[in-house]
This record gives sequence, structure tokens and C-alpha cells, in this order.
Amino acid sequence: MSEQLNPPTQIDLSASFAGLKLQTPLVLLSGCVGFGEEYTRVEGFSNADIGAVILKGTTLEPRMGNAPHRVYETPSGMLNAIGLQNPGARHVIEHILPHLPHHETQFWANANGSTLEEYAEVARLFDDSPVTAIEINISCPNVKAGGVHFGNNAEMAARVVAAMRPMTKKPLITKLSPNNADIAEIARCCIEAGSDGLSVINTLVGMAIDIESRRPVIGNISGGLSGPAIKPVALWKIHQTRAVAAKHDIPILGQGGICSAHDGIEFAIAGSDALGLGTGLFYDPLLPAKILGELRTYLGNHGLSSYRELVGTLEV
Amino acid sequence: MSLADNDFTPHRNTIFEEQAEVLARVEHPGDQYILRVKAAKTAQHAQPGQFVHIRVSEARPLRRPISIMLTNPEKGTVDLLFKAIGEGTRELSQRKQGDLLPMLGPIGRPFDLSDLNKRYVLIGGGVGIPPMIFAADHLAGKADVVVFAGSEVAFPFSLRPSQFLLPGIAGNTILAIASLESRGVASRLASNADMYGCYQGHVPNLAGEYLRALKESERARTVMLSCGPHPMLHAVARLSRETGVAAQLSLEEHMACGIGGCAGCVVKTKEAGGEYYRRVCVDGPVFPAEMLPEFA
Ligand SMILES: Cc1cc2nc3c(=O)[nH]c(=O)nc-3n(C[C@H](O)[C@H](O)[C@H](O)COP(=O)(O)O)c2cc1C
Ligand code: FES
Repeated sequence: MSEQLNPPTQIDLSASFAGLKLQTPLVLLSGCVGFGEEYTRVEGFSNADIGAVILKGTTLEPRMGNAPHRVYETPSGMLNAIGLQNPGARHVIEHILPHLPHHETQFWANANGSTLEEYAEVARLFDDSPVTAIEINISCPNVKAGGVHFGNNAEMAARVVAAMRPMTKKPLITKLSPNNADIAEIARCCIEAGSDGLSVINTLVGMAIDIESRRPVIGNISGGLSGPAIKPVALWKIHQTRAVAAKHDIPILGQGGICSAHDGIEFAIAGSDALGLGTGLFYDPLLPAKILGELRTYLGNHGLSSYRELVGTLEV
Repeated sequence: MSLADNDFTPHRNTIFEEQAEVLARVEHPGDQYILRVKAAKTAQHAQPGQFVHIRVSEARPLRRPISIMLTNPEKGTVDLLFKAIGEGTRELSQRKQGDLLPMLGPIGRPFDLSDLNKRYVLIGGGVGIPPMIFAADHLAGKADVVVFAGSEVAFPFSLRPSQFLLPGIAGNTILAIASLESRGVASRLASNADMYGCYQGHVPNLAGEYLRALKESERARTVMLSCGPHPMLHAVARLSRETGVAAQLSLEEHMACGIGGCAGCVVKTKEAGGEYYRRVCVDGPVFPAEMLPEFA
């Protein structure tokens, strides 16, 4: 495109998500940004560039997490098995949330549990807190109970959502696993159970081996694969989910290997109402501002005046 | 304390992302490399014990933590010494003069060097030597400091006979790191390889001979700082228990974000509330030895 149709300054980068207005479509993903304030250590990072920050996966009681090693670089990605290390929902609500800069961006919880009761209780606790939404992690591959065991079965997934639904008026966003056959069916069941949004996708399960010790590199044996390696899987799963989600007017938080504006634009076209950044931040903590700059230029060059106009414009 | 118990005092804008230009690259035997890079902000703010997190190549975008050996705040340079052991450090070793390295720094809780009435005994092994050089440089002329360095391959420094006598150290253990000598800091070397002028054995044993020869009153005001391979840190922790001299240990662990976001880099700690996993990148890399059950 040679002609710039819309000046970049007039482009509306805000996003709508499950009744929330996000100042940008960029969402920092759970488990990659601690409990909200870690990235502001880096000079040049600004919460003003961020639509929402999703806090580390939180359970009812504190969890120590898995033994090291917990992370390892693999081709075009990485494995992690943190094991949901967190100080418990009450601690997060009493000692962390009051200190977060809620005027700079929104913070969302990431709820986890081993039982339906635990998920429900975590939702009830966060309902009375300043988080503006609750993401339901039914897709964590790194814990023994709950997690992906709920997420791989449509009926179980829906029961988790249904257990949490009466506990909160805040938007519930169900985070779907790619480690299953029919993501669209799981999405449909979660929406019918009351999910207001979908996160697509969580990590794929993988492993790496140390050939000297002949042991798995990751302490937990397997880990979740993230980063550019999973991007094509993520796009396909979003594409599959989009048909169901759009029918019910349910937004998708697309994620899985977004490392550039180009990646983000692909995710938007596939149907991502918001764009999640995880591993890409490890590569470059100043990625958000770079993506927004290039996104503006792209939208302007293509005659679009807002991010929202780009979402779900895939032609097949 | 747990992952979430950060103190919420402002730590904003304390880490800088710089495109660090490689100014010089020197190769030493044993796959050891010294890179001098231009990174003005890191050079200005770095404290001994801190590290930088480097993107070594486009093909391996997850950054690698490398400890800082020396800075020159006026010239804006940072010196790094590392061994090409893994794929990441091998790629880093191939970077040439003029290359730009995306670098985050300075990162981590540094050594506690605040009490200048203390005697600092620095024990570094292999790629754990660089933070000792930085700490010694920082303390030179301000506090009593002595450095013990161990290596199984040739030391990547110029060496010369020491002008300082040290209690408990045999006369034939005479070689010292020249740059430290000229800053007035005594040092001695250890190796299991038969190297002229070096103590033959493990570096914590050499440090032990020195500590035991100190007068009781001197030992009481002494503290050890150490960085190196795990067996060496175990020996330093043992020495700490035997002599009653406290030790601060600098640890390594696989890292992803390097700035506290992922909890990927943890070590087990024992604290008032029980056992926790703490992040090596921002809660460390320096921990008091007695806080680490692994070294108890
Ligand atoms: C180190 C690490 C920790 C993670 N922890 C969580 C978590 O606690 N809860 C969760 O729902 N997802 C967690 N995830 C998954 C991410 O939120 C994200 O869905 C996934 O990494 C894909 O995005 P990416 O390729 O951009 O990283 C974690 C991912 C990583 C790399
Ligand atoms: S490497 Fe991410 S928290 Fe330390």
C-alpha cells in the first residue's frame, strides 16, 4: 500500500471485551507477568499500552509450585512447568491487589482449582475485589489435579464454568486447552454454561531430554510449550472457535506465540478481540509499544480507523 | 515470604533495555570469552552481584543471564566473562566487534557490601569468578578484601606474583590477579590442574586455610561472598558452618523473563514462615547461605 488512508494518530486502538472497554487490545498473559508490577521495572514499559494484565494463576490455598528446572528454551519456543506457584487467593486480594495501579490499566484474576468447589470459592473471593474479570484456567498442563483434566472434557469444562457463574457478576473468561480434539464443542459448552469470553490457546504439552544425564530437563518431566512454535496451532484453534463464539457474540482473547505486530494482526483477522502476550515479552519486554506503533500504521494503510474493524475479517 | 510478597516500594524503571554494542571480544583457553560491550545505563547503575540478560541471537530469542565482571560508568562499558558451555553461550561467544546485543540490565539483588568495617573474603570458581572481580573492585581501598579464585583451565586474566602476604597461605601459592593487585587487593589462585604458583586443590580449601589462620577477633568481622559451581558452593557453605563466618552465595538457574514475571528460575528457601521457592533473578541471585536448605 503506498497511500496512507488514515493518519495513525486518529486510529482507535481500544478494544471491547465481554462488556469491558480495554484501552488497547494488548493483554499480558497469566504466568508471564507475576502479580502485575514486574514489567514496570523496565524503563520504557508503560501500563498505558496495556489493555489488561492477567495475574498469575491463583488457587484457594497457597501453592509452592514445582521443583526446578521449570523453564527451558526449545526451537522457536520454550517449555515451562511452574506448577501454579501462588500465595493463595486471600493473600492476593488482601496484600497484592490494594497496591496495584488500577488507574493505569485493568487487572484480571486467573482462577484455578483441583475441585469444582475450589474454583467456585476462588470466584467468590475475587468477586469482592478490584479485578475487572476472572479468567478460568481449565487448561494448565502442569498440575496433578484439575487444570487440563477439566479442560479436555466438554462436560467437565462446562461444570467448572457453571460452578463459578453464580459466585460472581464479573465477566468470566474460559481459557481453553489446545490439547484436545474438538475445541469448538468445548467452547460451545462453556458459553452455554455462562462464560462471557474465551482465551485461546493455553500451552501444548511437551518435553525435552538432557542427553548427558538422560533425564527430562524439566523437573516436572513434561511442560507447557509456548512461543512462536505454537502460533499456527493457536491460529487454527481460534479459527475453529470463532464460528461458535461469534454466533453467541462472545469475544476471544487470542494468544500463543505473538511476538510482533504482524503476528498480532494475523490473530486479529482470525477473530481475536484482544491479543495476549506471554513468551513474546520474555524475548522483548518493550514489545507492547512496538506492536501498537506498527498496528496503527497497518490499520491506517488499510483504510481502517479502529482495531475493532479488523477483528474477524478473515476471508475464506 | 513467597513469590507474591514483593515489597511494593517503587522498583519502577530500574532495569534498562539497551542495544549493547560489542566493543571487544577476547578468547581465552577453555572456551572462555570476555566481551566488552557499550551499555551506558547498565554501566552506570550496576552493583556487584547483578547480571545482565542477553538475547544472544535471533535464532535463540530467550535471553541468557550473564553476570557482570566490571563496569566503567564514565565510558559506559560493561565487561562480561563467560564460558561457551551451552548452545546459548556458544552463540554469544561468536558475536563480533560491532554486533548489537539486546541486553536487559542491571538485574538482581546484589551482594550486601554496605558494612565497610567487615573483612570480605571472596571465593569464585570458574564462571563464578566475574562477580568477585566486580565486588573486589567496588571494595578496593574502602574495606579489607581478599579474593580466592579457582579454575581447572587457564585463568583468563594476567597474573603476577603477589606483593601481599596472607596468613595461612603457603609461600609457593604466590600468583595473583594482576588487575586486582594494582587496585591494592590481595588474591590467590587454586586449581586441581598442576598450575605453577597456584594452590593445588579446591578453592574453598584454600580459603579455609586463610580463614583458620585469622585471629578469632578478625574472623568475627569476616564475611564470605561466593559464586561458582554447586559443589563449590556446598564446600563454601560447609566452611561457613565450620568457621562461623557468614556466607552470601550467588546462584544460577535457567531463566525465562529475568525480571520476576514467570517464577521460572526458583531456588528453595527456608524462612520464618516455612519453605518457599524464591526467584533467583530478582529475589536473588545473591542469598544468605543459611536461607538455602540445599546448602544446609
Ligand atoms: C512461564 C509460564 C507460566 C504460565 N502460567 C500460567 C498460569 O498460571 N495460568 C494460565 O492460565 N496460563 C499460564 N501460562 C500460559 C500463558 O498464559 C499463555 O496462555 C501461553 O504461554 C501461550 O501464549 P504465549 O505463546 O504468548 O506465551 C503460562 C505460560 C508460561 C510461559
Ligand atoms: S526468570 Fe522469570 S521470574 Fe526469574
